[in-house]
Amino acid sequence: YLSPPRHIHYQPHSVLVPASPYLLEEIPHWLTVYFQASADLDYKLRWDMFRVNELDCYNAMLTRLYKQELEKIVMRYESYRAALLVEMEKFRDNQNNTRAVTGK
Amino acid sequence: SLTRQPEEVFDIICKLGEGSYGSVYKALHKESGQVLAIKQVPVDTDLQEIIKEISIMQQCDSPYVVKYYGSYFKNTDLWIVMEYCGAGSVSDIMRLRKKTLTEEEIATIVSDTLKGLEYLHLRRKIHRDIKAGNILLNSEGHAKLADFGVAGQLTDTMSKRNTVIGTPFWMAPEVIQEIGYDCVADIWSLGITALEMAEGKPPYGDIHPMRAIFMIPTKPPPSFREPDKWSPEFIDFVSVCLIKNPKERATASSLLQHIFIRNAKPSTILSQMIAEAHEIREIQSFRNLAQTNAPAVKQNANEESDDDVVGMNQNQTLIQCKDEGTLVPNKGGTLVPISQSGTFVELQSELGTMVINSDVDEQTMKRHDTGSDQVGKKYRPLFLDHFDKKEAEVKQGNGVATPATLDGPEMNLEEQQRFQSHFHLQMSPVQPLQMVQQENSPNFQRPFTDVDFEFLKFLSYEELHQRMATLDAEMEREIEELRRRYQTKRQPILDAMDTKRKRQQNF
Ligand SMILES: Nc1ncnc2c1ncn2[C@@H]1O[C@H](COP(=O)(O)OP(=O)(O)OP(=O)(O)O)[C@@H](O)[C@H]1O
Ligand SMILES: [Mg+2]
Repeated sequence: YLSPPRHIHYQPHSVLVPASPYLLEEIPHWLTVYFQASADLDYKLRWDMFRVNELDCYNAMLTRLYKQELEKIVMRYESYRAALLVEMEKFRDNQNNTRAVTGK
Repeated sequence: SLTRQPEEVFDIICKLGEGSYGSVYKALHKESGQVLAIKQVPVDTDLQEIIKEISIMQQCDSPYVVKYYGSYFKNTDLWIVMEYCGAGSVSDIMRLRKKTLTEEEIATIVSDTLKGLEYLHLRRKIHRDIKAGNILLNSEGHAKLADFGVAGQLTDTMSKRNTVIGTPFWMAPEVIQEIGYDCVADIWSLGITALEMAEGKPPYGDIHPMRAIFMIPTKPPPSFREPDKWSPEFIDFVSVCLIKNPKERATASSLLQHIFIRNAKPSTILSQMIAEAHEIREIQSFRNLAQTNAPAVKQNANEESDDDVVGMNQNQTLIQCKDEGTLVPNKGGTLVPISQSGTFVELQSELGTMVINSDVDEQTMKRHDTGSDQVGKKYRPLFLDHFDKKEAEVKQGNGVATPATLDGPEMNLEEQQRFQSHFHLQMSPVQPLQMVQQENSPNFQRPFTDVDFEFLKFLSYEELHQRMATLDAEMEREIEELRRRYQTKRQPILDAMDTKRKRQQNF
């Protein structure tokens, strides 16, 4: 009696927000260096020498670098969390085993 | 009437609530005696964008979409005048009653929501921020979609801009991945909202939003925590909303034919719930008054109010996201939100709304097209490849869901790798740039140095436990550090763009 609409009313969606094209654009090395380096020398960069659409592109790329770094952090903590859980699990197993041995 | 000062036209009655962008007030239109809601948004930025948004709102005329009447400027604020919805948002009602909704109530609300979405989607509008907090109920129990601050109309000019806005927990996988999306992104969010109404918070709602962002695209679609509590119709409805591949996900029109929606009862079944919420609001504002008049009573009143609500509680206790430790540090608004004109706006919504902004470079799009032409293949959006690959994986038996571990949803190694490879595919197909990892900053110590966790073997259980307890806060700190660096590095670029644009306007 269930009438799941799955696949039946499928129609190609005409509306689409396109993927961000900067996902495919190679990030220039200097921009990566700029993002990683300390801000002390940033004043030397003359951003006003670029055209607006170039700036726009670098801006988007900086966001991408930011997300990449963000992912690194999250993933690092994800492995850390997993490692902690493994160690904590060992303690619990140990406890259970001891109990089993003493027969209590 | 736009020339008149808004306070001549309206009487502000009281504050209704506060959101990420401004406060909302209940107001009286003096001339007609009509009660309205006014959202006051500080405008320090791109006026043209806001005006465009408002004109989109004004084009909507549906009983399932909150009506926008117009807007005024008052000093540095923009007053957006809209339809008043007396019962507030669905999340307000849950919070006030400290109770989740019944399946019957959910069906009725979701039915109206779908009609609103069908209306928008037929007009090529994507809402992009569907959640219980943006579904408002009027006193009769009719549900209406609110908050178009983020909705955009897709026109030719729009497709040149690509503004991804939403709240991480409700965001469709394809939106998070920025691989292109369409109206059915709202349907995913609706599925998440249905789970939110049933369980009090969205899936992953109690884990760090940054972890959620990486989990939503990699994990199998979420479902009910306790499936036994719900009918097969409801479970099926949610599962067709939460299909990860957008091309297979149901549309609003097709979902209106779903048995769960066809069996939905009329809005009158919500009146009990609305009356209860109304009563609690009255008691609260009365107590607030009493408190300001007699500060000594304050503590008592608070304790009592807690008891009251518990007494009213049935078996479904609402777990408030606010109380979950993980989200406390900065309310989850970790990802930097940026407005089009480049001003950083610190979002303060409880769970954090994520705003990513990037503009489409037409050249790249073209290059993509010609590239595929040469190979003689039709251009396909990237995300289709991704899903094809996924399907193949499942067929080979690699894409099996992992059982949850102790601490709720974890990513196993395989998922991490799959995510990572996918992430690189999407984010940096050309380069994984091997950067010399710079130590972030001298002013804090990481709880661990690199990927080697050998040292954990020598810790006591208590030490391990302690480390687990502070893990999220430490991650939060690193993310905050990174966010600040990103802000610092980005600002000069934004400033330069701003200057150039202004100069262009002057000529
Ligand atoms: N038209 C309206 N009628 C009645 N109450 C409203 C109306 N619009 C908003 N509110 C109330 O004001 C509160 C704040 O709304 P607002 O849209 O500013 O923020 P939000 O929806 O909570 O968060 P966000 O900004 O992330 O969408 C809502 O929670 C709701 O209670
Ligand atoms: Mg809102």
